[in-house]
Amino acid sequence: MDKFAARLVKSFNDKDLGTHDLDWVAKYRSDAINLVGNLGIPKLSDEDWRFTNLKDFASKDFSTFSGNEATFKKPKLPDHISSIDGFFIYTHNGILVSDSDYPFSFSKIKDSFDTPEIKETLYSQVSDKNKDFFYELSSAFIEDGIFLKVDKDIKIDKPIVIINSFDSEANLKFINSRNIFYFEDSSSAEIIEYSVSNSDNEYFWNKTTNVYVGNNSKVEHLLIENGSKSSFIFSNLKIIQERDSHFTTNSILCGGSLIRNNVHPMLNGEGCYSNILGLYLSIKEQLMDNYMFVEHLKENCGSRQLYKGLLDDSSRGVFHGRILVHEEAQQTNAYQTNRNLLLSDSAQVDTKPQLEIYADDVKCSHGATIGQIDKDALMYLQARGINKKKALAMLIRAFTDEVVEPIDSEKILDVFHNVVNDWFSRSKIMN
Amino acid sequence: MLDIINLHAEVEGKKILQGLNLKINKGEIHSIMGPNGSGKSTLASILAGKEDYEVTDGDIIYNGESILELAPDERAQQGIFLAFQYPIEIPGVSNGYFLKEALNSINEARGKPVLKPVEFGKLIKEKIKKLKMDDSFLKRSLNEGFSGGEKKRNEILQMAILDPIFSVLDETDSGLDIDALQIVADGVNSLRGPEKAFLVITHYQRLLDYIVPDFVHVLVNGKIVKSGDKGLALELESKGYSWLEG
Repeated sequence: MDKFAARLVKSFNDKDLGTHDLDWVAKYRSDAINLVGNLGIPKLSDEDWRFTNLKDFASKDFSTFSGNEATFKKPKLPDHISSIDGFFIYTHNGILVSDSDYPFSFSKIKDSFDTPEIKETLYSQVSDKNKDFFYELSSAFIEDGIFLKVDKDIKIDKPIVIINSFDSEANLKFINSRNIFYFEDSSSAEIIEYSVSNSDNEYFWNKTTNVYVGNNSKVEHLLIENGSKSSFIFSNLKIIQERDSHFTTNSILCGGSLIRNNVHPMLNGEGCYSNILGLYLSIKEQLMDNYMFVEHLKENCGSRQLYKGLLDDSSRGVFHGRILVHEEAQQTNAYQTNRNLLLSDSAQVDTKPQLEIYADDVKCSHGATIGQIDKDALMYLQARGINKKKALAMLIRAFTDEVVEPIDSEKILDVFHNVVNDWFSRSKIMN
Repeated sequence: MLDIINLHAEVEGKKILQGLNLKINKGEIHSIMGPNGSGKSTLASILAGKEDYEVTDGDIIYNGESILELAPDERAQQGIFLAFQYPIEIPGVSNGYFLKEALNSINEARGKPVLKPVEFGKLIKEKIKKLKMDDSFLKRSLNEGFSGGEKKRNEILQMAILDPIFSVLDETDSGLDIDALQIVADGVNSLRGPEKAFLVITHYQRLLDYIVPDFVHVLVNGKIVKSGDKGLALELESKGYSWLEG
């Protein structure tokens, strides 16, 4: 067993996570920690990690963390976040600290293990034979995180805004957040997740969210990762979609020194649609590795992946887009696009499509581009009197806007534009 | 209005303009003709401020001041307009939004009030109608998927809306059929006036039947080798350029 995994196994044992009043919890965690030990930290030789070297990360000794709710102070948020008219929920270094009366239920996951939906969601991994180190790690340490549930036929009319804040207590800590968002049949909601750190803290945030989208439900999800520039963020989003459901997720990645962003929708009922959208905005030495895995399990479903990258300085981006169409999933429409703009000569991006199709009546496509700001387009706009900064902003806006085309929620669109403008106004090319 | 003095310019180390002199007064239309590679489009690009060109000697004086150090947007704000030979396609930026931003920028620079959306809408509808274009065009991405003729008409529309003082038309007639040519020429003619000037670069004499120039110049190897009135264009049409190339 490698050192990194061995340390995690030791913390697991120290915390006695293998024992629990509920047998299934004990077993679920124990099975997972065994896999953590067996898998070991991913290496470059692992096909799914070939562009992201974890050696430096793995050499660090992150100690486990038992949160401290008492030290929570509301983080300073940019206006475009704090002014959202929504249902706010706060976590502090991974621990849920909010307790409000909202038209949906939410609680700490460790206080809700007796809720049947939790066990049901965790065990209904409809496919997925491949085991992921960080996902298993999240399962082994399942304790902190949010269980959120929207009841049948309920439409939540304002966005649910989850603010994940970090402060210096998180420095050099391993923080495990395991969330379950459960949407009963015919419900609908918008969720905005925003993460923020009060200073340049170096934390290891392992965050997994299992989303269950019931029959005929509609969920729009926007994730804004704006945490510490020194943090290591491993995000796993696994979605089970039931019949006629509609799920849209849009990730905007700005923070983190290293981000691994896994999104894995499983279209598990007929007539589902999944939009998997993202924008990675990287500067300095940041590495943003996006691993998409769209799995079509049933007939007549559609999915669209659209990920775009703006890369400045010597930052690096990765896009790995995998589509798996199972034999049963006839009449699947699955599309994938990855586009990148390199804003500096030393930025780099690796993009890789991977299509596995076992049904014979499907439409699938993929495409990738890597380019730079079009100088001729810039000249054309300037030749009409538009100054260079404005012209650049127009071109960037034109590039990034495609990522929000499928989004209906105006509130989410507003937040998206503000985050992108804010990032872009600070980029080198504009200064 | 415009005085080009002994202009030398190169692109990627290749000398293109080699001592070009040209004086254009208010109210005049000048035409430049010349064989391929003579430097016609280079001149247009340099006037607009495209950065790939290096001016190695000479100057361009516009309304009494050199413009060589001005950025393309500053030149446009001072009333210089280039109708591009190959208008650029910009996906994701709509024509309507683009025109509004351009007009606002120019009005702002000239100290004019920024138009209200209703006023802008009215102005643009009127100009679109004149150029026989469809309203739906405003929602389309800038030049994206436009035919050659549509692109050229769009250049003239931009010119009509931005109301420049000095306009350069870089082979605006290339690729146009006779009907489209007439529409474009009508658009240009309606903008003529005692305070305005035009430089019309073309390959074909027929454009000059519709936009009648006061002066015709022949550009060969980066220099003006002959100047005359519109009769010169007719002479070039029948004799070609070889007699001037020596």
